[in-house]
Amino acid sequence: MRKSKITLTVIAVFLGLLFMIPMIWMVATSFKTDTEALTSMSLFPKHFTFDNYVYTLFGQGLDVPIVRWLFNSLFVGVGGSLLVVIIDAMAAYGLARLNVPFKKILFPIFISTLMIPWVITFIPLYLQFGNMGWLNTYAALIFPYTANAFGVFLLYQFFRGFPKALEEAAVIDGANKWQVFIRIVLPSAKPMLWTLGIFTFMTIYNDFLWPLVSTNSIELRTITTGIAIMQQGSFVSSYGKLMALTTLATLPMLAIFLVGQRQFIKGITQTGIK
Amino acid sequence: MLKRKLNSIWTKKGVQVVQETKLSKFTSSLFVLPYFIVFVLFLLIPLIYGTYISFHDWDLLGSTHRFVGFSNYAKLFDPSTYFYSVFMNGLWNTAKFVVFSVPILIIGGLLLALLLQHLPDKVKGIFRTIFFISYCISVSVIAVLWLWLLDTNSGLFNHLLSKIGAAPIQWLTEMPYAWISIVAATVWWTVGFNMIIYINALNEVPNELYEAGSVDGATPWQKFWNITLPSIRPVMVFTIVTSTIASFNIYGQPYLMTRGGPGTSTKVLLMEIVDQAFVQRQLGIASAMAILMALIMIVISIIQFRLTRNSEGSVA
Repeated sequence: MRKSKITLTVIAVFLGLLFMIPMIWMVATSFKTDTEALTSMSLFPKHFTFDNYVYTLFGQGLDVPIVRWLFNSLFVGVGGSLLVVIIDAMAAYGLARLNVPFKKILFPIFISTLMIPWVITFIPLYLQFGNMGWLNTYAALIFPYTANAFGVFLLYQFFRGFPKALEEAAVIDGANKWQVFIRIVLPSAKPMLWTLGIFTFMTIYNDFLWPLVSTNSIELRTITTGIAIMQQGSFVSSYGKLMALTTLATLPMLAIFLVGQRQFIKGITQTGIK
Repeated sequence: MLKRKLNSIWTKKGVQVVQETKLSKFTSSLFVLPYFIVFVLFLLIPLIYGTYISFHDWDLLGSTHRFVGFSNYAKLFDPSTYFYSVFMNGLWNTAKFVVFSVPILIIGGLLLALLLQHLPDKVKGIFRTIFFISYCISVSVIAVLWLWLLDTNSGLFNHLLSKIGAAPIQWLTEMPYAWISIVAATVWWTVGFNMIIYINALNEVPNELYEAGSVDGATPWQKFWNITLPSIRPVMVFTIVTSTIASFNIYGQPYLMTRGGPGTSTKVLLMEIVDQAFVQRQLGIASAMAILMALIMIVISIIQFRLTRNSEGSVA
């Protein structure tokens, strides 16, 4: 029994290394000079340097606004997830607990759209945003993600199981619906709201096709689409700089993931089991 | 006393509720209104608009759009047209990717979860994080990393090959290596997602079942086939469906890693659709292709649910 545990741990360590190598290499190479990155396979840089980061963030010869791209991604990621959390929580609470007209029809309609592959919507959305003059705006990078019914579905289930007594006590104290919602319901749903927020942030931050289609101004690229430009453009053979860029781009997601891992995993299991 | 007091409040509230019904319904609707608006604007209208576009000869830059009925769809099924070859090539390549990647994502995810389950408790959390962490990276970072690992001259893979005296491989420009590279990168990127779902499912299998199995003298292998697998079947169905849908939507990996090559042999359906829409500017054809792709995905999901439900019935 002990022996088999040791064998399995050895296998896990081996697989773990396989999984980690690309990322460890990415970080290690970001501290190498470009020539060393091209010629040496060694894991640890011979000449440890911050130059790649300095150049990527503040480089004078750089023809693209990388810091702006990072800002764009964080801005639409945070803004979009906040919007989604607020809108979805309101809708889910209304549908689960309040006397909303037509809610028996609305809820199934919302949920059934989870079945619809998004590929149908990106061409008409592009034309719609074009007609509204919203291409190359932050609105284009935020609003399409708000129509996803996933959050409504997730929170609806939670609000259904929420004890009525708490709401009633607040009503007796003279609170109106909005006060009940903001003071009692939202705080109790905090873990769920974080789950939804982290998920939405990741979707927006990592999305590739929609930002590629809906923006063509270099100023409004997200970091995810910006990397694709650099990889074929001026960083094409500068592996050191390229890896500094990808490390920078991955850091926010990594930080959020490590801090909110529990919420994140809960979100994944919630989608499947219920 | 208190009870009476409460009662009086309730009746008072009750009266108020009756009087305020209309106002109350209105304020309640305000909760749903914001989502309803974005739902209509960014989902319902695009759905209808997309269908409308697919019935028209619609040039991205042109100002008049001629109604052509089902002819865009007809072209996609008419072997003599150029659009047929584009559509079928993309569909065929996407189907290949689905067939290559989904079994590995399902079995790999399950194996990783089983491995974790049998590790000492102290290290479980660490390995779970290690296997899962790549899932939070974006597709363009994945592509950069793998392009570099697979680089013909300076990549790690060919470096290792040269160490054992093997000839370098053109990982991204030769078949079957181009598919192998795309599938490997995808598995590395997303297999942790399924693993997380399986870990959860394995934890929910009641321990009594395994104990009963031990009493009956079942081997670990028999326990796996007769207890574990049947218990996690619903979750397996779920992961098969979600992995299939995710694989159908493949775009970034071939777009960034192989550019659809060699030739057009890894040019997947979504790449063809984007090409038709924004390079050829044929939005009508592109929309028809997108709608067909969505219909195929929906039909496959339904078939997968049905098939697995039926086999469940026959087992029980």
